[in-house]
Amino acid sequence: MNPQFLADGILTGALLGLGGVGLTLAYSILRFANFVHGDFLTVGAYAALVVAGALSQFLGGSGIGPFSFGWPLIVALPVAMAITGALALLLDWLLFRRLRRRGEEIVLVMASFGASLAVRSLIEFAFTPEPKYYSRDLQIAMPLGFGVRATPDQLAVVVLAALAGIALHLLLTRTAMGRAMRAVAENPELARVAGIDPARVVRATWWLGGGLAALAGVFLGLTVQIRPYMGFDLLLPLFAGVILGGVGSVPGALAGGMIVGVAEALAVPFIGAAWRGGVAFLLLLAVLLVRPQGLFGMER
Amino acid sequence: MTGTLSYLAFFATEVLVNFIAVLGLNVQWGFAGLFNVGVAGFVGIGAYVSALLTVPPWHGAPGPGHIGGLGLPVLVGWAGAALASAASAAVVGVATLRLRADYLAIGTFGIAVALHELAANAQGLTGGPFGIAFIPHLLATVPPGGLARGFLDLAITALAAGAAWFAIDRITAGPFGRALRALAQDEAAAASLGCDPRRLRIQAMALGAAAMGLAGAVQASLIGYIAPDNFVPILTFQIWAMLVVGGVGSHRGALLGVLAVWGLWSAAGGLFAAILPPSMATGGASLRIVAIGVAIAASLLWRPRGLSPPGRIVSRFLR
Amino acid sequence: MTTLAVENIVAGYEKGLPIVRGVSFAVAAGEIVTLLGPNGAGKSTLAKAIAGLVPERGGGIALDATRITAPAHALVRAGIAFVPQTDNVFARMTIRENLEIGAAVLPRPRRAGRIAAMLETFPALAARPKLPAGRLSGGQRQMLAIARALIPEPRVLLLDEPSAGLSPALVAGVFSGIAAIAQQGVAVVLVEQNVAAALGIAHRALVLVEGRIAHDGPAPPLRDGKLLARLFLGRAEGAEAA
Repeated sequence: MNPQFLADGILTGALLGLGGVGLTLAYSILRFANFVHGDFLTVGAYAALVVAGALSQFLGGSGIGPFSFGWPLIVALPVAMAITGALALLLDWLLFRRLRRRGEEIVLVMASFGASLAVRSLIEFAFTPEPKYYSRDLQIAMPLGFGVRATPDQLAVVVLAALAGIALHLLLTRTAMGRAMRAVAENPELARVAGIDPARVVRATWWLGGGLAALAGVFLGLTVQIRPYMGFDLLLPLFAGVILGGVGSVPGALAGGMIVGVAEALAVPFIGAAWRGGVAFLLLLAVLLVRPQGLFGMER
Repeated sequence: MTGTLSYLAFFATEVLVNFIAVLGLNVQWGFAGLFNVGVAGFVGIGAYVSALLTVPPWHGAPGPGHIGGLGLPVLVGWAGAALASAASAAVVGVATLRLRADYLAIGTFGIAVALHELAANAQGLTGGPFGIAFIPHLLATVPPGGLARGFLDLAITALAAGAAWFAIDRITAGPFGRALRALAQDEAAAASLGCDPRRLRIQAMALGAAAMGLAGAVQASLIGYIAPDNFVPILTFQIWAMLVVGGVGSHRGALLGVLAVWGLWSAAGGLFAAILPPSMATGGASLRIVAIGVAIAASLLWRPRGLSPPGRIVSRFLR
Repeated sequence: MTTLAVENIVAGYEKGLPIVRGVSFAVAAGEIVTLLGPNGAGKSTLAKAIAGLVPERGGGIALDATRITAPAHALVRAGIAFVPQTDNVFARMTIRENLEIGAAVLPRPRRAGRIAAMLETFPALAARPKLPAGRLSGGQRQMLAIARALIPEPRVLLLDEPSAGLSPALVAGVFSGIAAIAQQGVAVVLVEQNVAAALGIAHRALVLVEGRIAHDGPAPPLRDGKLLARLFLGRAEGAEAA
């Protein structure tokens, strides 16, 4: 086995894990499969592109050290996360909140499907289907040993994704809001009589899910490219990772995303790079048939 | 004049092809409450299977090693298309229907993505991005392009749509439909009366997908050519918009919905082409999709029953 | 001194289908009022309506003579605590996390103190604070649920069948705990099927039949069972005839 594929898989897996966390939170707290989530990645990537482009006039456009990105993108990253979180809240306010009150989860799924289409096509309208890049600088992959090569950007992404995962774990276990989110996910009615305001938790979930999706989107844009379909194309592997890890489990989403990413990468030498979706789909079917509650999930 | 007539024939043909698929979605969603996000996938399976069954062996092979091209009769191809779609829907149903409703959505979404990938990459089987050409027409005696061919296509499609409508209406009005309605109203009560909810849902899933497969096969044989990008999520959205706008649970409403949405879709295309400069043509296409997405969301919010009130049943998901 | 006043409350899950049809009663500080009645009489619905979980269609509640209408989570801050019958702890979270959730409604400086106080009151919980609540025995779960509800120092404690699924020995322990809570000045409303245990600690008993109060009086006279049987059965037969 070629360790290079494993390394590529870890990079993809880190992105899928970050993106999947928001999806699994939405699934367990808001209780529906949110098809807009993939497009949140795209929104985040384009938001960072615009903000970084505007900032590069003041902060300079060159990369820091070995990296292709500089201060503009670093500053743009939190801004893009906030923009994406705000968009998620706006969609909730316009659409999901009203449908949630009627209590029909599948109508929510459908509405998210329609919203996904609209968001993606609006991005395509505004930015054209042409791929875009944060930097035109070519990066040289450095040898890391065992025949594995990676660019400094790729290494930065894996390290930052791991840090984000740790921060998230601390947020969910050590803060009142994190515990409140887990409480609502497990038992919404008990959470209410325990004094937790469901509306606050819903808002926090959108902020967090949207923000992490934006983070994954920027990382994806940094290591691959920025396209209107970049997030939507990732939706199936994202779902596969979330279900594999166990719906509602944040460590599960991180681990599931990693497994899907590595599985896709390991399949590449045998069946070619074009079959990623098929690998995700087969993994998904296998999990649903064998262990539908996922690796970290509980029986419901 | 001829141009207008031939456009009308083309428009009506497209409406009827879509109507066949909408009928299938109506069985799944309107009667059984099953949320299928992979309509385009099931239509695509029908189109590709019928093409592989009917394309003559010496034609349509885009490259060496091309499989398929059995040269079977067109009607056999259509039947095979319906069966193949139904079978793949049943597989997804078996995997997901014992779980929460949105797993089915994810599973059908997955099959659509996987099919598109298969169509785009399995060169030997599907022609890859080049697609499959020379798909035979049901009555190839009339040369393509003329008004006569337009009306012949319309007649063939009308027959196919009529047959599908009749069959689905019979089935949904009979014991199967009654069981589905009982299931929609009270699952526990229906189960206690001897209906197996999971089995019924898998059957509804398969029946609906059969209609979608047929729609794909009919379309493929009329146009004579298919490519992966005919079967992308936008098709799923269109079929959904037609059903939701038309009124869930009513076959007649579904036809109204197809007319309304396909009319708007075509008109919006013309409008954007007229008012936007040619350089923004792709932008116009995107805006058109935005309009469909907003229309779905808005009708869910304000008119969950659609334009036409349902005849007998509303899905329990849409009160 | 009346702590909780329930005034002509009408409640039900769907509009036009009230389950509780106009119930009024009052609970004083330190008093235990038990809600009894046949199955389906609306006891649990009444408790959930007071806790804000079931929509009130008419009437309302007052706390310390102040009328309050608020969503369930805000009622907790106002001083009304509710312990549901089943699934009343967060099974995937640790004992300590369950208590921390209860404490989150308090101002930050008071949280640690209240959690420590609860762990002192329920030493069985203090032994392994990192144990997931799902692994606790039935009696310990009930203790944790009650401890979680008591952390914000509520004025009113609503308990929905705390004896459900417990062995008789455990029931005695839990109920003596409830009596001790009332002695500290909490107004307790106790919904129960275990009539004997409930009447053993209650000061007053309400009998609810078909969503209305059929009897309201001191608990001790009901303990011999004849009056209670007549109240339960008399109405139930009448209902069948109608």
